[in-house]
Amino acid sequence: MEKHNKFSRRRFLQAGGATLAGSTCMPTVATANQTQQSVPALQRLLRSADVPAAKGARVIVVGGGWSGLTMAKYLKRFNPAFDVLLIDRQSAFVSFPVSNAWLADQVKLDFLSHSFFDAANNHDYHFMQASVLGFDHESRKVYTDRGYVDYDYLVLAPGIEYDYSRIGVEDSEAQNLLFHRYPGGFVTSSELLTIKHKIHEFRRGVFLLNVPNGDYRCAAAPYERACMVAAIFKQQRLRAKILLLDMNPEIKIKKAGFTRAFEKLYGDYIEYLPSSEISGIDVEKRIVETDFEEYNFDDAIIYPPVRASRLIEEAGIANPQSPQKTPDTDPFKYHLPDDERVYVTGDSRSQPFSKGGHTAHSEAQYVAEVIAAHALDKELQWRSPQTMCFSAVDIEPLKAMSIITYYRFNQQSHLFEFDRTHMIEKWDAQGGQASLAWAEGMYRDMFYS
Amino acid sequence: MKLFCNAFFIWLVIGLPFTAALAVEPVRIVLEFEPDIDNGRRTFEICARCHLPEAWGNNDGTYPQLAGQHVNVLMKQVLDIRSGKRSSPTMQPFVQQRTIGGYQNLSDVVTYISTLPMNPTHAKGPWSPSSAEYDEGKNIYLQYCASCHGATGEGTNANAYPRLQGQHFAYMQRQARLVRDNLRVVNPAMVTLFKSLSDDELDKVLNYISYLPIPQADLASSENWRNPDFE
Repeated sequence: MEKHNKFSRRRFLQAGGATLAGSTCMPTVATANQTQQSVPALQRLLRSADVPAAKGARVIVVGGGWSGLTMAKYLKRFNPAFDVLLIDRQSAFVSFPVSNAWLADQVKLDFLSHSFFDAANNHDYHFMQASVLGFDHESRKVYTDRGYVDYDYLVLAPGIEYDYSRIGVEDSEAQNLLFHRYPGGFVTSSELLTIKHKIHEFRRGVFLLNVPNGDYRCAAAPYERACMVAAIFKQQRLRAKILLLDMNPEIKIKKAGFTRAFEKLYGDYIEYLPSSEISGIDVEKRIVETDFEEYNFDDAIIYPPVRASRLIEEAGIANPQSPQKTPDTDPFKYHLPDDERVYVTGDSRSQPFSKGGHTAHSEAQYVAEVIAAHALDKELQWRSPQTMCFSAVDIEPLKAMSIITYYRFNQQSHLFEFDRTHMIEKWDAQGGQASLAWAEGMYRDMFYS
Repeated sequence: MKLFCNAFFIWLVIGLPFTAALAVEPVRIVLEFEPDIDNGRRTFEICARCHLPEAWGNNDGTYPQLAGQHVNVLMKQVLDIRSGKRSSPTMQPFVQQRTIGGYQNLSDVVTYISTLPMNPTHAKGPWSPSSAEYDEGKNIYLQYCASCHGATGEGTNANAYPRLQGQHFAYMQRQARLVRDNLRVVNPAMVTLFKSLSDDELDKVLNYISYLPIPQADLASSENWRNPDFE
């Protein structure tokens, strides 16, 4: 067990790490050894994982979302000598962008579902289905539930997690119950399937949705989802009301477009309540509490504020002062302050870019080029990610509006701000078709072309 | 109003399955459309969602300047991306019939784009006109490029030779390398030329091109100009 003495405990997952790697000064050493002996399967965590031997500098990409998939493809594109390994804990990819249109039966699940094998085969990289537990930057190893893998470069793109504590649900058992009963639909695909059932099985009463505060994933999606749920209820002529509790003082994005949709299309269905800070939820009694009111509901989709994946915190690289437990990375080159071999991208990033698939996709192309340049001892000029966001508003046929924006770094304030924003808030069938073309183009790029 | 008469060619190879071993004759079909600029503007809404209403592209080379480009050049690129001959996975679904419509819409939209005023501050290369590198690039340009692309990079619509004036330096760098490495299929003469140049020479000639003057009449009044059709 020489290897595990080299672990930087600071960077190793606490849950698995404390028992497995808890080294010299920890009282858990004896327990750890006993646990390892009595549960032989745990020893595989400290063995080398069964992956093809690296034929060049190995780049490990953690997380097969929009950032990781794009990263893996373009790393190989910008430096064919890289040996790229993508790791994701899921067996298949389901797209969250455009999933609201699927909730309203405007696209099939096939449209959203894609295989990691296709992505890896078509772009000449490796895929491993595994859960990443942590990494050690000194020995350059990534630890997974299938063993460790050595890396030359490591890209962490593990995405987000829900932060239920910010809606007053602190207890982990209560969080778990809330997550399973009323999932938000922004992290795992089972959430989406549950939500679709809820919407299509609903018969009457109050269906509650909320918009979180802070920089949550996909700014327009909760408003778009309210429209899609309302479209289904309207189609079925349900005696139902959609209560949309917005934790923000006003609609955060495409305000004119959504306001018009709520009034003109769904006036009989959507009740929009801004400045509704959720302070607690009683799952059994089906009550949402805000600072001033209590709301009863019959069914709900609860989207809590978000934070960076726990992997970031448990690896010891999160800034504890940051509201979303994001890592302190170089704002232009995305690497850890003391380590140009470890990068953090996608929705776990520290920069305040809008969280979502398109941003992650354009950002990953740039960061892949940064890493390829680093391997060749070159520098690359910073370029802005692009945020593109379609919002479906109506169905049969699908109608959507869109926004595109870039970012610039303000040298005075030292903050990123929006640049060259263009909004099309008029929704129409052309926008709906364009939103599908956009998604198809992204899937083509990440999986097939 | 008849602005242009767009004509473009489609090569069809006609052959019967059981005569596959026999030589087949290419058949050239010329399609002509009278462009409707208003419909072009409406259709351009699809493009503007990514290319922005000015179609000026990005300094970082991720999008090209389309404004002011020749109709036949734009049409050729759209058709090549539509068919997959030119790989652009993210744009490909946008130029399919189901999204942008048929040939008439394509004809209308490329005509509209060609009338847009150009970006007065497109991104230029690193070597200013007083540098030796600029002069080296100029020599290469005059020797190999000017006969088709024109003395000032104006291109020609009839032959679908692209207008090079005003194109972002980083975009040309990326495309030239794709062509050289056989990742983008264009006129074979371009591949031969690019393969004969070193990386350095390639960058110098593209640098020179990025400084070619654009006629004042084709430029927007300032970098703050915004397309009034989208206000």
